[in-house]
Amino acid sequence: MQDLPAGKPVVTDTHPSLLDRTMEAAARATPEPLANTVRGLSDRMVAWLFIAPTILLLLAINIFPLIWAIQLSFTNYRANRPNEVVKNIGLQNYERILTDTDTWIAMQTTAHFVFWTILLQTLIGFTLAYLIDRKFRGHAFWTTIILVPMMLSPAVVGNFWRFLYEPQIGLFTYIVSFFTGIATTDILMLSNVKLAPWSIIIVDTWMWTPYVMLICLAGLRSIPDYIYEAAEVDRASNWRQFWSITLPMALPFIMLAVLFRGIENFKMFDMVNLLTGGGPGSTTEVASITLKREAFEKWRTGFSSAFAIILFVAVFGLANIYVKVLNRVKSR
Amino acid sequence: MSAAAHSVVEPSTTSKRVAATLVIVYAVVSMIPLFWIFATSFKTPPDSIAYPPKVVFTPSIEGYCNLFTTRTRQTAEYINSLPPATSFCDETTRKRNMVIAGPSNFLPRFLNSIVIAFGSTFLAVFLGTLAAYGFSRFKVPLADDLLFFILSTRFMPPIAVAIPIYLMYREIGLSDTALGMILLYTAVNVSLAVWLLKGFIDEIPREYEEAAMIDGYTRLQAFWRVVLPQATTGIAATAIFCLIFAWNEYAFAALLTSGTAQTAPPFIPTIIGEGGQDWPAVAAGTTIFLVPILVFTILLRKQLLRGITFGAVRK
Amino acid sequence: MSAVTTKKRRSAWPRILRRGLLENIATVVIGLGFLMLFQPFAITLYTWSFVTMLAGTVMFIVVSKFPE
Repeated sequence: MQDLPAGKPVVTDTHPSLLDRTMEAAARATPEPLANTVRGLSDRMVAWLFIAPTILLLLAINIFPLIWAIQLSFTNYRANRPNEVVKNIGLQNYERILTDTDTWIAMQTTAHFVFWTILLQTLIGFTLAYLIDRKFRGHAFWTTIILVPMMLSPAVVGNFWRFLYEPQIGLFTYIVSFFTGIATTDILMLSNVKLAPWSIIIVDTWMWTPYVMLICLAGLRSIPDYIYEAAEVDRASNWRQFWSITLPMALPFIMLAVLFRGIENFKMFDMVNLLTGGGPGSTTEVASITLKREAFEKWRTGFSSAFAIILFVAVFGLANIYVKVLNRVKSR
Repeated sequence: MSAAAHSVVEPSTTSKRVAATLVIVYAVVSMIPLFWIFATSFKTPPDSIAYPPKVVFTPSIEGYCNLFTTRTRQTAEYINSLPPATSFCDETTRKRNMVIAGPSNFLPRFLNSIVIAFGSTFLAVFLGTLAAYGFSRFKVPLADDLLFFILSTRFMPPIAVAIPIYLMYREIGLSDTALGMILLYTAVNVSLAVWLLKGFIDEIPREYEEAAMIDGYTRLQAFWRVVLPQATTGIAATAIFCLIFAWNEYAFAALLTSGTAQTAPPFIPTIIGEGGQDWPAVAAGTTIFLVPILVFTILLRKQLLRGITFGAVRK
Repeated sequence: MSAVTTKKRRSAWPRILRRGLLENIATVVIGLGFLMLFQPFAITLYTWSFVTMLAGTVMFIVVSKFPE
């Protein structure tokens, strides 16, 4: 510490460059006996050399395109007509998207999808975690079995669900008709306007309930036994224990799972694109599908860039909250 | 331990039994679609569309034959004029009044998947290990902000990223190339790699490297000879997570590749036979595609929680 | 942020501008933006949802730099 220039604050905004600050800080963070080695040029370079490639890659593949998209969102550019004159039209794209009934309805479709998947996955996932936490014999094995669907490719497996949903020959329709008595030919999971959204919700729930379950299980296991023991001494009923200990203490974990699923399902594309492609009509046209249609079918690049920025801001807002919850869970 | 406390830590036998039953029922039901994929891959096309759905059937590898080949319909006279069938696939195809016309696109697409998944995993883990070490051992200014920035890139909606990436790749000639996809997947995976590996490297005591450096190792030597060997488990787990992501990815692949660099996920749904989707062939492709993931899931089961929470939740 | 700057600021920093409280407000604003984006009742609310989310997100990033 004493080697640092006297009178100069270590970290201020007037400090010359990020590089210098990185190196100074790297040196400071290292214990005294090593300080001299770290202060040598090669070791200062290490911290920077190690982090820089990742940052540069992300700048090139994520941030630069993002800035480009922001710039395009103020224009009427069309990617399939690269030679046409590009006009700057200010906020018109944003205005059009945010006053357009169709995109509004796409958002409501997304909301419907996000709401029901999260509700079902949280209820089933938490219940499963609670049951597995009873630690019956073989629970580790069955946990692994349950986890399998979430590791698979949503696209490849989602595609196969189309077969299960086939009206006449599909296994899903057969089982449903077996239990309800409705003729298999009447169960049109993918082409009935009322059923199509649910066909996606079912596959998503099947696939991602294990995810919620796994995080909830971690939450339940993070509750120390002595709290229950103390509650037992106070003769608190199982019901009370659940509401006043189990649920509140597992809540940050549940939040973590809900936020992550919320973000993922908000931008859901794979499954919807393969199962229904947004149809019948536009009943399952979630935001990502609208965006894909605008960008890669109608080629309204400027317009779709603005839409992409809107989705990005929404996701970024949630990501901030997610990381906040993540840090809270981490400190447990 | 008192009787009361015992009942908490160790749930009663009845409650265990009820719990076990419910969990096993859920597990078995959730396995049905996967079992059905596997079963369908060994059915003949008529068996696959039978009503009621056939659970007991004579297995056949026709689905796998159809997955790897393209076939053309021919007249009976032409088929009879051919030399005798040399393989099972040949024979089955001829029974359906068709002949094998050549290999299908499945194998090249599958190889694309392998090249892109392994290439991007290698790069992401390489970059991620370096950055994670940097963040773990040095006090980087604005570390929290940089880490958040790195993580936030993973949350970007793929379609939103695909629009400018499409334009950018068109400009620099990376459209529909394996290299372009590798770079893109690396960028998505590196965020996971940095966060996961930072957790793993944080767990390695600093004292090890410090001791090594007092013995005359430079920082780089200490990193290479002391930290890396200690971090192998973490690096392996991270690599598997990256591999699974790149292997499963669909949105970028579907939008940015169409031919030479197309991976298996956008290809499998396009496998069609005569009069619609050839489900046994799709099931066969899906089975081949899923088996590696099943193996990796079992290998990873102890690290799954860490992987899906970016290393934040460890137990 | 270094410990030095945090310590220096804490004395002069007004209580109302603490990080925890403001972060919660920003979280609520982001959540509100989402409700506006998702609700099926009034298109005016939908129109202004983007600005609300943007404001909430910017606020969140700014206040997360404030001392605890």
